[in-house]
Amino acid sequence: MLKSPLYLLLISACMVALISATVLFWFLWDSSWPYWQAFGISQLWAPEWYPYESLYGLLPAIIGTAWAIFIAMIIAVPCGLAAAIVSSEILPRFWQGWLRLMVELLAGIPSVVYGLIALWLLLPWLQNSFDLLTGHSLLAAGMILSLMILPTIMLMSYDALRLIPIEQREAGMSLGMDWNQCLLRILLPQAWPSIRSGILLALGRALGETMAVMLVVGSMDRLPQPIYNILEPAQTLTSRIGREMGEAAFGSMHFSALIACGLVLAVMAICLSLLAQHHKPAVTQ
Amino acid sequence: MKAVLILLALPAILLPLACFVYIIIQALPALNWELLMGSNTTSGSLFAGTAGTGHGLWGQISGSLLMMLLACFLAAPLALSIALFHALWASPYQQRMMVILLQVLQGIPPIVYGLCGLIVLVHLLHWGISLAAGGVILALVILPLLSSNAIHALERIPIAQTESAKALGLSVGAVIVRVWLPSAWSSMLTGLLLAMARALSETAPILFTATVFSGITWPDSIFSPVTSLQTHIFYLAQEGSNAHAVDMAWASAAVLLGLVLCFSLMARLLRRYEGAL
Repeated sequence: MLKSPLYLLLISACMVALISATVLFWFLWDSSWPYWQAFGISQLWAPEWYPYESLYGLLPAIIGTAWAIFIAMIIAVPCGLAAAIVSSEILPRFWQGWLRLMVELLAGIPSVVYGLIALWLLLPWLQNSFDLLTGHSLLAAGMILSLMILPTIMLMSYDALRLIPIEQREAGMSLGMDWNQCLLRILLPQAWPSIRSGILLALGRALGETMAVMLVVGSMDRLPQPIYNILEPAQTLTSRIGREMGEAAFGSMHFSALIACGLVLAVMAICLSLLAQHHKPAVTQ
Repeated sequence: MKAVLILLALPAILLPLACFVYIIIQALPALNWELLMGSNTTSGSLFAGTAGTGHGLWGQISGSLLMMLLACFLAAPLALSIALFHALWASPYQQRMMVILLQVLQGIPPIVYGLCGLIVLVHLLHWGISLAAGGVILALVILPLLSSNAIHALERIPIAQTESAKALGLSVGAVIVRVWLPSAWSSMLTGLLLAMARALSETAPILFTATVFSGITWPDSIFSPVTSLQTHIFYLAQEGSNAHAVDMAWASAAVLLGLVLCFSLMARLLRRYEGAL
């Protein structure tokens, strides 16, 4: 049975998938090699990026990415979690199904459409309310990212809360706990592993989101001045790749520096998904 | 506590919905039949600011759909084989490794796949900026999603069914065709529809590997560049001063949204039907 034609067919298909993924990532490493060779790992915290003067420091983009993700998480985690709790614990059963369907559909809205909305609604609003030159800023990027990752956080937390059996809630009530205690002592601790991996998943999505961020972040390659100034144009790793890839010649140092940005991004994402793996509950079903 | 939670939850629920409604309102004036079916090869140079803003999105729609179909044709058989291998022959250790690997691949940002494709397909294999490159890259982007869906679909089949089929003396092929396929096809189709929606909405990986701004209604061959809805929105969004471009951008956004929602709604309906079985 082991050598049946079907077995050979399946294993060769798996090999094709595995080999093509490996080849692609090998070339990612290979093309960024000239960059690492010329500048070394210390470029990760070099603060200057001027391709025309051969300065390729990654720090501004890394700081920009970190700020955008941080703002997005600060807005999206409390709101998403609250929305999940409200919809699973307060709303009547009938509305839950509809709300879930709606949020699932919202999760599918393409990122470039969110970018368009941010460009036309968010930027003028920021410009007026903070008296800025243009609305392009890290704050805008963070806000639109938070809107995009809300559905992910909400769906994962909602499903985790729904999986807790009703007996648990009833046991809590019969011990004389009020609604708040029940939520904080029984429901949230039990749902936490899934909520946590939902948050990490959303973090990964925010890290890799390109189009919406690229449209609103302003693409300014320098460190925010001072470092906590989030109202100025800045740059993230993804928006830098998207903006400059078109103009970098294949094989040049600029090209391999951009590939290096991609490699840094990929390494960060791999770390995040391994972290999300680690504490997974055995099997919830 | 309840009041605070509701206050926090309101924007989370209302804001995305408001965005959705806003797109429809913005796009309504520009949407009509001519827009969907007309081609957009107005003569005029890019510098005059008229190219790509002619009436008609047919070229963009067909480009997006072609790339999506190519990606699905490439990825679906691979995903099915991966799932079958996972169910039939992989040891528990291999199964675990496969699942972890798929999740890691799923977590990698799409733009990184775009970069890999740019190096290998566009430059080293000399495919140029082409439909084929876009299709292959999108196939790689959706492959992890599609395979883990297929694996879950096969895992949901009760083990007793498989074992009784084997006990009746059915061969492996017969088990797959007669026992697994009838009970797993609907969830596999759901996965495929979701992957199609995903392939339609990815923009970053095809931005510099497959698409050009305008001038192409139907690609001559698989190795010629295409236009797509996603990148069209991106290009038009940056022409803020041109009122016509802005109208077209909203109209394209509405069309893209309609296509994506079409696929994901079908997937949800199928899932309900499956739940009712």
